[in-house]
Amino acid sequence: MSTSRDLTRVAFSGLAARKMRTVLLLLGPMIGVAAIVAAVGLTDSAKGDLKAKVAELGTNLIEASAASAFGQSSPTLPIDAVERAATVTTVESVSSIRQLSNVVVTPYTEALEQFDTVPIPVLAADADLPRVLEVGLVSGRWLDDFDESSRARVAVIGQALAAEFSYLPGENRTVELAGFPYAVIGVLEKVPLEPGFDNAVFVPFAAVADDFLDEDPVEPNKLYVRCQTGTEDLTSEALSVAVGLGGPTQISSEVKSEALELAAESDRQLQLIVVSMGLLAIVVGGLGIANVMSISVIQRSAEIGIRRALGHTRRIIALQFLLEAIAVGVVGGILGVLLGMLAIFVGVSAAGWVFVMAGWLAPAGVALAVVISVLAGSYPAVRAARLEPLETLRLG
Amino acid sequence: MITPFLELRSVSRVYGSGDTEVRALDGVSLAVMPGDFVSIVGPSGSGKSTMLGLLGCLDAPSDGTIVVDGEDVSRVADASRTRVRGRSIGFVFQQFHLIPHLDALSNVETALLYRGIRPGERRDRSLAALDRVGLAHRHDHRPVQLSGGEQQRVALARALVTEPKILLADEPTGALDSKNAANVMEILAGLRSSERAVVLVTHDVGIADSAARKISMLDGRIVSDEVLRP
Ligand SMILES: Nc1ncnc2c1ncn2[C@@H]1O[C@H](COP(=O)(O)OP(=O)(O)O)[C@@H](O)[C@H]1O
Ligand SMILES: [Mg+2]
Repeated sequence: MSTSRDLTRVAFSGLAARKMRTVLLLLGPMIGVAAIVAAVGLTDSAKGDLKAKVAELGTNLIEASAASAFGQSSPTLPIDAVERAATVTTVESVSSIRQLSNVVVTPYTEALEQFDTVPIPVLAADADLPRVLEVGLVSGRWLDDFDESSRARVAVIGQALAAEFSYLPGENRTVELAGFPYAVIGVLEKVPLEPGFDNAVFVPFAAVADDFLDEDPVEPNKLYVRCQTGTEDLTSEALSVAVGLGGPTQISSEVKSEALELAAESDRQLQLIVVSMGLLAIVVGGLGIANVMSISVIQRSAEIGIRRALGHTRRIIALQFLLEAIAVGVVGGILGVLLGMLAIFVGVSAAGWVFVMAGWLAPAGVALAVVISVLAGSYPAVRAARLEPLETLRLG
Repeated sequence: MITPFLELRSVSRVYGSGDTEVRALDGVSLAVMPGDFVSIVGPSGSGKSTMLGLLGCLDAPSDGTIVVDGEDVSRVADASRTRVRGRSIGFVFQQFHLIPHLDALSNVETALLYRGIRPGERRDRSLAALDRVGLAHRHDHRPVQLSGGEQQRVALARALVTEPKILLADEPTGALDSKNAANVMEILAGLRSSERAVVLVTHDVGIADSAARKISMLDGRIVSDEVLRP
């Protein structure tokens, strides 16, 4: 018992006496563990945020798009796609949109040059879209049936676009769509499952037929469908059949929350890279420990010799060196965990997530650093123990 | 009958083999009794250090028997020799061999590590040993902050803090000026007691003659063994 206390005491006093060297030894395990803890913690936090989002939005939103059609460059869905989708019994609500290309959006006529660099998506949307997506409006109102029947030039814009155009809530203003003035009647809230909508302009189908397309009525190219929770996969398959039946168009359906989770998978790839780099840093740090301690054994051979002469056994000498390495591992590991937690905290604060860190992460980080340092320290420790006192002391 | 603290019986130590074979020690017999104060002299290469290494359990003989403090250490494992070393022997070297990053007190304390001694007691005993060599007031100085004479006195304190029965010194004054040498010799002579034997290797005739018994070596053999004073 007292022997292990003596060993610990000597190991720490040896490290304290050679501060520069100790700091250098600590860097490897510290940076490695910090990288791993940060990578795992940040992806967990992101995943936690995603889960919260999905839980909030519901998992039962399905997107059915026109995927490919014979002889059509931008495939569309049948004109009665919404009615067809509604025939699927597990479907609760449906909304359709048509994505337009090449409609230049500017806040006012003179601003054409200033704003034509970043394309702003323009979509025809029906009256049900906010209800199906379960989002509200920041101000004003959504497009309604009267806008369709009166063929009004009205538009709802996304929240980010409103900010970009300095649109004030309730302001009487128009935006220019390919030169046509559209009255802004509302601003849509953020749609977490469709981040692109934040920057988009929504107009009635009838206005699109009048101003932008050579078709009337305008066919949709995408449906948003809410189904009974738990029937996502079933509904998604049924939709492809029900909507595409008898036509040339292939329908691809996907559950939106799954798409989101798929996107999170790519984060996991990043996590894997960062964790690998952390492991590499620890291994390199371990090699550094092995190297520095091997040099140390040579430099301290006289000290080892005198300790042996004083009655310290080979075992004690080996343990002493090993313990110095372990102390580096423990301290480096703890500092690495703290540094990693700091990185998670900074990242989480910047992203507005909730701090998530698995309970096993801290002990695992320290344990990893200790294991590496034990491996790194054992070779120099054995070398130190093998030194013959007479050879290192060289009597007169 | 008093048993010797150290006993060599026809001990040889051979380095190398064949053409390069060196008989550093060649069939030496010797007994060192409690209370002895022995100086070993002889030309360079005559085997003095080799003998001291064997007496101090730092080395094993090629042939013959070595008994240290009642224990036959001729053909035992390293761990056993290490144990006897720690229990019965104190060393002083020409080059002091203090640990550079430790202060005087910690250097002395090193001899008491791993013996199940509590830190408080270890410190008290080490301070007392430093006091015996007149250096208690410099206990917090590191070796570089001490003169050669002071460093050798710290080394002496380290050797005697374990209360060893046998004190072995290899040219303990070899790296010191005459004033410091005299000081160290005075302390060494003062350590002589009926419970202890002191053996020192030296080149210095004056120092050799200040011992109670003088052993002369040549070519790995003892050529004379004289009692100078009882
Ligand atoms: N490790 C060794 N390997 C080979 N020869 C050695 C070794 N140590 C000592 N010797 C030889 O043994 C002889 C006695 O050496 P040593 O005991 O150091 O003599 P002294 O201390 O009297 O000068 C010398 O010839 C020396 O070269
Ligand atoms: Mg010699």
